Amino acid sequence: MKIRRVAADPAAGETREEVRELAEALSLYGSAMRHLAEQQSASPWIEARRPSRGMRLRLLLAPAMAAAVTAAVALPVYSHLHHHHHGMAPIAQITQPSPAQTRASVDDSALMTQIDSEVSQDVPEALQPLADLSEQTASSTTSVSEKKHVSQE
Amino acid sequence: MEEIATTAATGVAGGPGAGNELAIEKREQAMLELADFDEVVRVYRPRILRFLLSALSDRDAAETLTQECFLKAWSARHQFRGDSSLSTWLTRIAVNLMRDHLRSRSLRFWQKTRGSALDVMDISDWAPDGRGTPESVALARSRVAEVWKAVEKLSAQQRAVFVLRFVEEMELDEIAGTIGMNLSTVKSHLYRALAIVRERMGGAQ
Repeated sequence: MKIRRVAADPAAGETREEVRELAEALSLYGSAMRHLAEQQSASPWIEARRPSRGMRLRLLLAPAMAAAVTAAVALPVYSHLHHHHHGMAPIAQITQPSPAQTRASVDDSALMTQIDSEVSQDVPEALQPLADLSEQTASSTTSVSEKKHVSQE
Repeated sequence: MEEIATTAATGVAGGPGAGNELAIEKREQAMLELADFDEVVRVYRPRILRFLLSALSDRDAAETLTQECFLKAWSARHQFRGDSSLSTWLTRIAVNLMRDHLRSRSLRFWQKTRGSALDVMDISDWAPDGRGTPESVALARSRVAEVWKAVEKLSAQQRAVFVLRFVEEMELDEIAGTIGMNLSTVKSHLYRALAIVRERMGGAQ
């Protein structure tokens, strides 16, 4: 009685059908896998290892792709370095002093030494009154500041 | 049957040392079998290859791991105690190799495409029971392809249990002994694997 009721239930019938299909699919899967394994066992190792057409194409294309990528990366880097090298040359030329410039700087330093020595010489006689005047001004300033100090004390 | 014949011949059945005698006998037999390793490879290679091919759906990987399985067996032949049959021992090595392979493949995430992966075209000369209408053969192939895709989704343990059950047609307790799991764990893995396959097939329809 119970069995009859279950059989009449459309949902149970659907499930049973689904389970039957699954069992059939699993049986087919097992059969297909055994067939494949038999084929694989029968085929020699080298034949089995032979790459497929897609794989062979990939093997051929891989070095070409690698070369293209390397070129794409290396060319900008090379050109950048090349330009950089060329750009650096004028700067080097500017910073590197030429012999004429060196001579000029030597002459300048000699001139400066000469001027310095002349300036540090004693005041010429003609300008002596001016020197005395400046000394007097300096001493008066000093005395004024001393007075300030005394008054503060 | 062979064991019964052996015990009958030795006349020690039922005695206190019967278990030990039997174990020694089995071990000696296994050792004898292992001694001719070429024969071991000839007899068991198709089975190991079938298991690995079904579990990995990759020809190259299956061939490589089959070779590795026998290499490992040869290296460890002195450790084989004869507790299980030679077939069970070799299958256990294959299951471990498959598990390691799947683990390392999941880490190599940039190698998603495999040149030697199985395809529906590989079963173009296969027909269920060797006959049928073109429509029924095509339907059978599409069903097999769906199960393949579903197997790809299974974990290593589920896959091993599933393939041993439906391709190798092993009993559940035999699977438990081979993989080294208890029976309830095997049942649990098989149940989950079937649920995934069923879901996949239901979704495909």
